[in-house]
Amino acid sequence: MSPARRLLQIGAPKLLAWLLLAFLFVPILVVIPVSLTDRDYLSLPQDGISLSHYAALLDWRAGWLSSMATSLGIALAASFLATAVAAAYAIGAFVYVGRWPSLLRVVLLSPLIVPPIIYAVGMVKLWSRFGLLDSWIGVTIVHVMLAIPLAVLAIGASLSNLDPRMVQAARSLGARPPTIFLRVILPNLGSGIGAGAILAFITSWDEITVTLFITGRRIVTLPRRIWTSIADSVDPALAAIASALLLATLLALLVRLLFVERGGSPSR
Amino acid sequence: MTRFQRWALALTVPAAVMAIGLYVFPILQVLALSFLEPKPGFGNYVSLFGNAAIGRVVRTTIIVSALTTAITVVLAYVVAFAIIQMPRGRRRLALFLVMVPFWISVLVRAFSWITILRRNGVLNTVLTQSGAISEPLDLVYNQFGVIVGMVHYMMPFAILLLVANLGDIDRRIIQAARSLGAQPATVFWRVWLPLSLPGLSIATLFTVIFSLGFLVTPAILGAGRVLMIAEYISVQISSTLRWGVATALSTLMLVAIGVLVAIAMRHPAMRAAFGGGRS
Repeated sequence: MSPARRLLQIGAPKLLAWLLLAFLFVPILVVIPVSLTDRDYLSLPQDGISLSHYAALLDWRAGWLSSMATSLGIALAASFLATAVAAAYAIGAFVYVGRWPSLLRVVLLSPLIVPPIIYAVGMVKLWSRFGLLDSWIGVTIVHVMLAIPLAVLAIGASLSNLDPRMVQAARSLGARPPTIFLRVILPNLGSGIGAGAILAFITSWDEITVTLFITGRRIVTLPRRIWTSIADSVDPALAAIASALLLATLLALLVRLLFVERGGSPSR
Repeated sequence: MTRFQRWALALTVPAAVMAIGLYVFPILQVLALSFLEPKPGFGNYVSLFGNAAIGRVVRTTIIVSALTTAITVVLAYVVAFAIIQMPRGRRRLALFLVMVPFWISVLVRAFSWITILRRNGVLNTVLTQSGAISEPLDLVYNQFGVIVGMVHYMMPFAILLLVANLGDIDRRIIQAARSLGAQPATVFWRVWLPLSLPGLSIATLFTVIFSLGFLVTPAILGAGRVLMIAEYISVQISSTLRWGVATALSTLMLVAIGVLVAIAMRHPAMRAAFGGGRS
């Protein structure tokens, strides 16, 4: 085979792959220059850059800060509850192997497959009957149910690395069940519980589809405010909040890349 | 059952109560309402099939989902195939470029595409100022914009699924093919591709399922002009309050997804990939 043809066969797919990676990454970055525009409509900076749209975010009356506080509160509560329920389930299913826990696992993981719009239809009906539409508790419960699957997967993964002989040793030495669960199994799940809590937090923080239908004027989470302002107007403050979220994500992933993943496996 | 096992079983009770009461029950209620609202019977389903507007919505959903899936899976395969052959350092950079969009909120991504594709957006500005085009192009608020946004949303998922699956392929098989004198093209078409089929099926399944039920990206990038099932349902439950239609469409969507998953699960490779250690 001629070298030119060989280069084409090996080089062209690689080049295409990097172009596609650029297609995934670069478009997201566009919000950064737009957030720095000196105009009050969505545009690239014309005669210099301005931070005024970031300043607008910090104005309490604009509502962005209160939405962030709302989302943070709900996400913390949902993450805590989802992680606790998922950890209890995962540990129980690890010890009691049988039909029931594996059937329950399918049910717990189903929000990953069932479109959220269908769950939204169901929850609007249920919460209107209980008067929980547009309430803190209503939103938090929905977020817990949607966050449980990823927490179960993360905690389950770290349980599968746990040596069952450790539990056997504890039992044969006469440890009572609560001691085994709390002092033998739980302390070995630190990384899984941490990962589960982070995934649950992100799920709640980003949740929009169901939240959109079960909230109204009172509970305005950050995604809901972004949704409304995309629909209403094209305000550069939106680019500023998008940039802030983007920078937080980039920072978190860089920290993970540089400190956590060293020597780790390349896949998630 | 030992005392220890009873304790373990008790630990699964909170999850079970919550899942049944707050997830399974509301969804069963959706299924039930589709036969009960506004009056008992199959009326909702009969009217679904006779309604031209709903027929259009279903057609749009199928076309957009099929195109999105085909484009996503092919492009994701190109990327995943390149990633698993990269040296470590480059692979970490490539995976980083996949992970950033993977973790960014779907709203932020839809907003980025609006900013880029609008009539006076970034792309049209650059193209007109450079003289490449004289009139701005209509790139968004139509099917094209929706598909760009959906492919961009689905690709990271598909790439991560494919990288995990392709990484498990035994490289000695590839080496054997090469050492037996197969040309690179033959190695790819006759060895790599057949071995990638389980990964490709999973990526296809997930992309189809997500696309069928997608609300946010089509709603924002289609702006009501590319109406898909999820958005149609959302209109029925938030403004026109036709619960019968909304629940019947939800039921059909759920059944379609159930059938897809059931077909996929018949294949042993698929079961292995789902039940495997990586899931």
